[in-house]
Amino acid sequence: MTGAMPAQGDRAPRVIGFVCDWAVGTSAITDGDGRLRAHPSVVLIRVPCSGFIRPGWLEDTLKAGADGVFVVGCPYGDCLNREGNYLMRERMDQLQRRLQRRKVDPSRLAMLAHGMHDEAAFLAEVAALLNRLRQLGPPPAPRTSAPRLAGPTTAPQAVPAEEGGA
Amino acid sequence: MYRRALTALQKFTLRLDVAINRVYPTDLNPLYYTGGLTNLFLFILVVSGIFIFFYYVPSLFEGHASIVYLTEQVPYGGLIRGIHRYSADAFIVAAVLHLLRNWFTDRYLFSRDSPWISGMFMLLLGGFIGATGYILVWDERALAVLGVFDGLLRSIPIVGRAFAELVIGGEGLGEATLPRILLLHVGPASALYVLLWWHYVRLRHPKIWPPATWVLVNLGVVTLLAALIPAVSGTPATPGARPGAMPLDVFFLLPFWLAGLMPPLLVVLLVAGLFVLGFVIPYVNRESDPEMGVRHAGVAQVIDGNCTGCELCYYDCPYNAIVMVPSPHPGLSRAAASRKLLAVVLDSRCVECGICIGACPFEALELPGMLESEITRAATEAVGVAGAGRA
Repeated sequence: MTGAMPAQGDRAPRVIGFVCDWAVGTSAITDGDGRLRAHPSVVLIRVPCSGFIRPGWLEDTLKAGADGVFVVGCPYGDCLNREGNYLMRERMDQLQRRLQRRKVDPSRLAMLAHGMHDEAAFLAEVAALLNRLRQLGPPPAPRTSAPRLAGPTTAPQAVPAEEGGA
Repeated sequence: MYRRALTALQKFTLRLDVAINRVYPTDLNPLYYTGGLTNLFLFILVVSGIFIFFYYVPSLFEGHASIVYLTEQVPYGGLIRGIHRYSADAFIVAAVLHLLRNWFTDRYLFSRDSPWISGMFMLLLGGFIGATGYILVWDERALAVLGVFDGLLRSIPIVGRAFAELVIGGEGLGEATLPRILLLHVGPASALYVLLWWHYVRLRHPKIWPPATWVLVNLGVVTLLAALIPAVSGTPATPGARPGAMPLDVFFLLPFWLAGLMPPLLVVLLVAGLFVLGFVIPYVNRESDPEMGVRHAGVAQVIDGNCTGCELCYYDCPYNAIVMVPSPHPGLSRAAASRKLLAVVLDSRCVECGICIGACPFEALELPGMLESEITRAATEAVGVAGAGRA
């Protein structure tokens, strides 16, 4: 676990993207670590549905030192589960408003919607997001010095074993 | 072979979407609303059908004349008849598109077999309703269709004759025939709504109607078609006479066209075989479990101690897979200590999409194959990887 690295102003922004497995196909545009080939400072994590994302995870990822996070769902109207991307869009709006009160710029969070074979449009949106983040500069220092993620990820590691048995 | 073909078709379907989404806003992509469009055409059919029902006389001597009267004398009668005809064609087209799209994009797996199976019944009934509709017009074509239909039924061993007499209303044509056919036209159409209940019962917020734009466009197209190319009857049916050449409707009368090419029993077996094959589809997965990867992360599990009974997962689950039960005991966390309800996941309805996990602010739900701790760890590590990846 690398932990949070101090953000430098002139470096490329670190961005984590959660990608629905039915949304934009990433096998052709990422390397083995999940980094986008075109933008190596963007790392993608695949999830079953965009609605699977708990907004708290996005918040925690920002606290862990990411400059921005985004979620990619299927085009609106075409969620495999009918509602996952609409639900995530609402949750994203709520999270943006909540974080804005804590002086986190809403444009650090983005909800994208691209179909499985729509890589070009997806990459264009990511590039635009990176530009916005560059202009924003590094994120404000978190209130607590230690990112919250570093704690909980080590503490409840016993949990998976218990639940695996259940 | 099947798997490779299905994967290729899925690719084609989704690439087509990308192309269509360049033209329309994604919310208006007509292919996203094939089910809603089918329902829209069914509604148009019911409304126009009720109108036609007021004028139709199910009798060998007046059946044809009553339809001609409706078409020529009743104000807008011809238009409404045309709307009935063309929306029936559109109904079948939309239903088949709906079937193909959901087949190609894997929307039949896990608990989604019940919409699939009810859909197969509705497709079969839909075809049957369409064919009986052509008989009701009682022109030359109607007689030919009825003859072929009779032949198909009689070719079934043992029960065939009984079936045929049930449909025709006796040994041969008689005054009972057209009332029977009318009943077989209207009855199954009502049954479609019972099957629609089955089609929707496992879905929360099903997309029943297309967007208003598409409702208006389709209503307009159907009306325009009905006005430009009116639906007309052929010469009245005269039993015993050889029917001349007539147009065959590809959407409904395909089996009747096939009956001219092969023995009737073969046609019956072909239709029955396709119908049964349809039932197998939801149980044959295109992908193996490892290929499904994160999309097969196990049925969602409620963490009893954390559940506060807040019902958020219950409202968001798209498949009604979560039910709230009176809590048998208090939860362990502080927020859950005074709960009244407990969420329970019904395994047989869960499709493992994880939407309940995103809905739960109390960490009370987990997908066994994708635990929260794994996601947060992956996210933290990803921040490190992203840091290493920048120039």
